Amino acid sequence: MQQRRKLDQKQINQELLSGNLKTPKWYIPTMIFLGFFVVTGFATILYMFNTGLGVTGLGRPVYWGLFITTFVFWVGISHAGIMISAILRLTQAEWRRPVTRAAELLTVFSLLTALFFPLMHAGRPWRIAYWLLPYDFSRGIWPNIRSPLFWDPIAIGTYLTGSTLFLYVALIPDLAVLRDRTTGWQKVMYTVLALGWRGNPRQWLLQTVAGILLSALMLPIFVSVHSIVSWDFAITPSVEGWHSTIFAPYFVIGAVHSGVSAVVTMMALMRWLWKWNNHIRPEHFDALARLLIVVATAWLGCTFLELIFSVYGREAPEIALREMQIFTWPWNLLFIIFLFTGYIIPVGFWIFKKARNNIVIMFWTSILVNVGMWLERFLIVVPGLARKQPFTFTWEAYTPSLVEWYIMIWSFAWVSFLMLLFARFFPLIPLFETKESQVFTSETKIGRATVPVIYREDD
Amino acid sequence: MSKKSILGLFDTPDQGADALDGLHNAGFESHECDVLTGTPYPEGTFGEHVPQHRLFRFPLFGAIVGLTLSIFLTTATQIAYPLVTGGKPILSIFAMLIIMYEMTMLSAVVTTVVGIIFESRLPKFNIGAYDTRITEGLIGVVVNCKEEEDLSKAKKVFSDCGALETKEA
Amino acid sequence: MVTETNNTKYSKSTRELITTTTIAPKKVTLIVMILSVLSILGIIGIVLKILNGFEDKSAWGYYAATISFLLTTAGAAPMVAIAPTIAKADWVRPITRIASLFSVVGIVTAIASIPLIFALPPLIVDETRRRSIWFEATNYSPHVWFALSIFGLTLCGLGLLYSSSIPDLAAMRDHGTGWRKRLGKSLSRGFIGTDRQWKSLKMRIGMMGTFYFLLLMFVNFLFSVDFALSLVAGWKDAIFPMYHAMTSLQSGIAICILTMFFARKYWGMENYIKIPQFWALSKLQLATTVLWFYFFYSAFIVFWYGRSASDQMVINLLIIGPYLPVFLGAFFLEFFVPWWILVWNPVRKSIPALAIVACLVLIGVLLDRIRIFVISWSTYSNEVIHKKFVPEENFPQFMAPSVADIIVFIGLVSLSALIFILSTRILPLVSVWETHQSLLLTKVVKYVRTHVTAIGKPD
Repeated sequence: MQQRRKLDQKQINQELLSGNLKTPKWYIPTMIFLGFFVVTGFATILYMFNTGLGVTGLGRPVYWGLFITTFVFWVGISHAGIMISAILRLTQAEWRRPVTRAAELLTVFSLLTALFFPLMHAGRPWRIAYWLLPYDFSRGIWPNIRSPLFWDPIAIGTYLTGSTLFLYVALIPDLAVLRDRTTGWQKVMYTVLALGWRGNPRQWLLQTVAGILLSALMLPIFVSVHSIVSWDFAITPSVEGWHSTIFAPYFVIGAVHSGVSAVVTMMALMRWLWKWNNHIRPEHFDALARLLIVVATAWLGCTFLELIFSVYGREAPEIALREMQIFTWPWNLLFIIFLFTGYIIPVGFWIFKKARNNIVIMFWTSILVNVGMWLERFLIVVPGLARKQPFTFTWEAYTPSLVEWYIMIWSFAWVSFLMLLFARFFPLIPLFETKESQVFTSETKIGRATVPVIYREDD
Repeated sequence: MSKKSILGLFDTPDQGADALDGLHNAGFESHECDVLTGTPYPEGTFGEHVPQHRLFRFPLFGAIVGLTLSIFLTTATQIAYPLVTGGKPILSIFAMLIIMYEMTMLSAVVTTVVGIIFESRLPKFNIGAYDTRITEGLIGVVVNCKEEEDLSKAKKVFSDCGALETKEA
Repeated sequence: MVTETNNTKYSKSTRELITTTTIAPKKVTLIVMILSVLSILGIIGIVLKILNGFEDKSAWGYYAATISFLLTTAGAAPMVAIAPTIAKADWVRPITRIASLFSVVGIVTAIASIPLIFALPPLIVDETRRRSIWFEATNYSPHVWFALSIFGLTLCGLGLLYSSSIPDLAAMRDHGTGWRKRLGKSLSRGFIGTDRQWKSLKMRIGMMGTFYFLLLMFVNFLFSVDFALSLVAGWKDAIFPMYHAMTSLQSGIAICILTMFFARKYWGMENYIKIPQFWALSKLQLATTVLWFYFFYSAFIVFWYGRSASDQMVINLLIIGPYLPVFLGAFFLEFFVPWWILVWNPVRKSIPALAIVACLVLIGVLLDRIRIFVISWSTYSNEVIHKKFVPEENFPQFMAPSVADIIVFIGLVSLSALIFILSTRILPLVSVWETHQSLLLTKVVKYVRTHVTAIGKPD
């Protein structure tokens, strides 16, 4: 599948730095458009802080609604980075090269955005300080180590720190290229960030070792983060549909599914916006789609296990919940949409090679997957809560308010805004990885056939 | 004469390797010569001395520090401010395990990154003899010279091996 | 100076590998004789157990553990060939035959599981339907579906082995003598290596491999749930099938590593099975070791936090109960000890060290199976099965294996080993055609002043 393009380093620099050395025409209008939603979104959040959580649709018994759904969604998206970057780096898959940095970037910004949600969900987030940060003296209460709500920020903070550092370390050689190509304040900025990188064998060896070592360290963190988020729900026996042992791997595999799909969306946009046809090619989409088929099928298997074991115990409340979720309006419609968009339609397309190599189809199916995955989280969080206390005097169906919807839209605009801001100053496709592939790949003739070759050093 | 370095710029890896061989034949030691490239090459491509590093000690050290700190944090705070929740024991290892795990990994990652930067001998803002065309594919061979005649020896080696340009710093 | 041409290398490897099917090292002959005796004793043990009847379920606990051990170890071993082949890994070529040869052991597992199927209680017990994943299905659904699936898995495994061996059977037709030549001629079905035959072969291997994987997951799911989980009232654990499947992969990798070690030692395969194969498998072994803890903890933490009566029962019965020493053995041998050994790079490059770790893992998996299945079958009773959970007064006492259990275990393992070794009389332990592929596509080349391995990637 690897079609080799012979590109010299100067050409690679020109093509991949085109967005950094000069502002593309579409850039400013897009940033203004996104900036509008970002600013008005922040204003909405401030309005909510000022007025109170009553402006949302949250209430007894559904205290966790759109915000927590979107929180879990963004943590899920963040799993793209490590899946693509770490796992494919450790398995030495050549086709990962154009997308590693964009995936890691998506991880960093989606985690940052995810962290916002539990903070704003508190209603008065400044009061979280004494609950989260381990400083003494405040009423003799220390943060509760036994609470998964305490584990969440620790895990997400660890993952965020690790991903940011990983991103930075891999960026250093490219910062040196930018240092060599710019003037003025930009040159100063890149010089400081590049730390004096020269590109001698020692530095390159350490880059390679760093990539492998950090990948190996980040992988266990990646598995643990979404597992810990899943335990926010799974360890609670009081909400039907939550107390299931499969939540940890179920959430992780779902996160990989939605994260990798988000990377596909991003790759299509990168190819179209920056005209990187030489670097992001149909075979990358083909490889990702084949990976997604495996991941999506594993995810479907976990969904099946979760459903079957929820009714296995034959407990009336649990069965009633599932009946509501699958057969009662409007949950039944959401359930069908979730199944079709999360698996049936995308995988139905991806099993055909023509569809996998068609970038437009890949773009739209990857978006469908994320619609489905958002719905999955919604269907996990809300229905169980809606039925939490069977004899409660207030038992209202939850309807998200406009404020909640707008803040959700803000989160998408915010992540896109941050990504584009980064892309203006730093290359989205790693230059040194692209150049490295030119050195470590070649072609050979076997009979009349030209066969791509990769060079591997002895361990 | 204060220490000077001279850089030779070459078009192909073979020329760069020839230049390094020539420098060794002219009496320059391995630690005095270096190769600068815009992309990683297989180890030993230019016949250079393969650098040794101790990077693996950093994550180990970081993990031990992180684990110790996390055990202290989780144990000491819970004993100092005991708060029974859900009928669970105060020192419940199963819950503490998660904080311990995350802090261990965080510490390991941070010390690894510090180690990478340190072992790469960074930051070093005075980069010495360098050319921006190295990041466009040219191979740079640098040698540190103590004497004036070392400079001319090095220049001769570079020109014999087909250097596009030489630069001093 | 005459240099070795490709042709010479190919014919040398063909001769060497085909010859291994005809020459039996002395030690192997002695081992085969001992295994034959033990196998006969094992079969006698099974017959005695059948004659004792199926009423006393606790008498079948160790038998169930033995079947699970065989299923998970030998059943998962072919995955070591399938998954890396689908991922187009080049390192797996010398060991695909060893991995896929374990499918012949499936014959032993499938036939030996028949008595256990008879011992399994029906869905309707004392005129009441017990909890299961079969809900309102017919009374003997677990029995029928498991029987179909295990025989289906065996057939699929044998089909995969046969498909992947056709070129070697053709080589035996061309270079073998006597009955091997005749067998090769009949089984190779006219394979002469045309382009079309190779394409068809690769497609069949890919499809059968995928189908084997899906069937393996299904068999693991059915066996773990029907033969363990659903026999314990109140044990509701959605992750358990995945845990069972994952430990199955762990033991499958371990048995492959151990067999590779013996192949080098007794079959003289040092020139074919080298450090890169052990290096790659050691990483997978480390990953599955760490995943053991992840899957165990994911279940444990949900029960520990839940604190309901059934949650506490699961922990008290299956972990800290009468089989605590067995659990601790499994914990240390499946996770703690292998993890601390495999984490070190130099250890992962040491073949004897990896063989020792593989032995420890296999013992750990066996202990884990004993813990799960002996407890399940000892706990089951018609009176208790319909309760919400097993009361503490009904917890079984620790039950040591009887003489018959030990003889059956040793007998079945010996029979499996015997059938594996006898298969090497027909097919060489290292695939001839995959060796030729390696010779064709892998070469050490000079790169300026160093050497690298050039690997052709025609796919």
